Amino acid sequence: MRFVFNRLGKRELVTSLMVLIFIGLFILPFVVVTVKSFSVGWRFPELLPQAYSLNGWRNIFGDPSLKESIVTTLKVGFYVVLLNLLLSLPAAKVLSTYSFKGKSMIETFLLSPILIPGILLAMGLQFTMIQFGLADQVSGVVLVHLIPTLPYAIRIMRAGYERLGIALGEQASVLGAGPFIRFFTLSLPLLLPSIRSLMLLTFVISLGQYALTAIIGGGNVITLPLLYYPYFSSSNEAVVAGFSILFALLPLLFIGGVEILLRLVIRAVNRV
Amino acid sequence: MNGQNGFLNNKKRVVFNLLPALAATLLLVGYGMWSAIAQSFQSVDGEWTMASYLELFNSLAFFHSLKLTFRVAILSTLLALVIGLVMTRMLYQFFRDSSSKVLVWIPILIPHFVAGYLVYLFFSQSGLFSSLFYQLGVLDHRAEFPVLVQEKFGIGMILTYVWKEVPFVILMLLPVYYEIDHRYSEVVRTLGGNKWDVFRSVELPWLLPVMVETGLILIAFIASAFEIPYLLGVTRPEMLSVRAYEWFYDGDWSKRPLAFSAMILPGVMALLLAIFCIGAVQKHRLRMIKGRNR
Repeated sequence: MRFVFNRLGKRELVTSLMVLIFIGLFILPFVVVTVKSFSVGWRFPELLPQAYSLNGWRNIFGDPSLKESIVTTLKVGFYVVLLNLLLSLPAAKVLSTYSFKGKSMIETFLLSPILIPGILLAMGLQFTMIQFGLADQVSGVVLVHLIPTLPYAIRIMRAGYERLGIALGEQASVLGAGPFIRFFTLSLPLLLPSIRSLMLLTFVISLGQYALTAIIGGGNVITLPLLYYPYFSSSNEAVVAGFSILFALLPLLFIGGVEILLRLVIRAVNRV
Repeated sequence: MNGQNGFLNNKKRVVFNLLPALAATLLLVGYGMWSAIAQSFQSVDGEWTMASYLELFNSLAFFHSLKLTFRVAILSTLLALVIGLVMTRMLYQFFRDSSSKVLVWIPILIPHFVAGYLVYLFFSQSGLFSSLFYQLGVLDHRAEFPVLVQEKFGIGMILTYVWKEVPFVILMLLPVYYEIDHRYSEVVRTLGGNKWDVFRSVELPWLLPVMVETGLILIAFIASAFEIPYLLGVTRPEMLSVRAYEWFYDGDWSKRPLAFSAMILPGVMALLLAIFCIGAVQKHRLRMIKGRNR
């Protein structure tokens, strides 16, 4: 041990210490919750669980309303991500390439949904959504989920387009590639890292909405967060822990599925 | 880029591409805000009145809620910014390769209320830290552990927000640290400057615009978020968002205007703050962008 410390400089030592602190603060809690989801009656003042079982997870997957709500959550998340992609790609491209009058005003306006209270906007929109038959529907919930997600989507794609630059696109254009071919063979593959972060972040934000979903969904669109609160007050702690882990697993599941889809699309396009 | 679809000139192309995003934002924010303001000035019968605002300003409970909301929002934002900045500064070399960046993404993956549950799990009176101190013999009973969650000051909420937002701050600041030309730091050191001089004259000018933007996003978000206070707050004083939500869903519809006006105040304050900060940073930023063009 001392040998290792001597080899490392002071700077490296501080960095590795900081990494350990970071892991201890931000990663370790997840390990504890995972252990807790397999524990039986892990209560004060025990430092470690006295017994382990699968009961918590059995309870979770035995709840039929939960299965239904996982499907609803994935459906909402999928549409939110899709809409974000469709809206942010063209806007980000223009914002990264052109400069024009009033650009900074438009940028501020596009950022405004995360500066104005989302709960206020949802309450304001509720009555109109009822009139248009969007309330109590997945479609209405998807629309309000755009409020906290769209500004981030545009931001991420904009940074992606800025890194990509315009030179390659110009070259493809000179060589006779139309906008469709340019997008699928050039922009899409090169923007993939940004698209991945966009999908992950917008899905995660959509997954974390309670108030917006409750206000517009009206108790009819039951996503996972709406079930989490009643579970939180229940006494079975292993179930709450398992449920919490589920929230971290869903984005991974989603992103895994999307990754396969993306690869298939790119392969298909490149074959043509 | 004018080759293939030259029939669209640049101006039209800008409008055409921006339109979907602008229309969506206008519908959700513009219309939502207008409708919220209109409803805050109307009574249940549709008459125009200031009654809801007058009632709010005459209510002591509202001011307690306002105070709590500002306290939690400002303290969480400042703490998250400072801790995030220190961690980014020390770790940006480590996070350079993308496999270690996964570590920052993990806490981002989970929703806020799960973070709230983590804080509850570790910091409540019957939580794991309480158990630890009991086992160490520091405490004789769980009641001796300080009440950190679900109390009036909002410590549990602040802890949750700081824990959840520090990785966000790191993710926002990391790209800036990779952009900074660190040869300037060497110049400062060669000229006899210390670490603080390096930070102030090389890093801060790059960081400031992003720090201001991140701080704005955080403060606006925390002041109006509902999920954490609903889980970890107490009934009196409540965070404004919880108060508004309860008014909105009160069986009595006459409380609805109150729900709107209670949320409009922090919304307007966040907007004013945003305009002020963006204006203050804009000049600075323009100079930087111009300086960057080689």
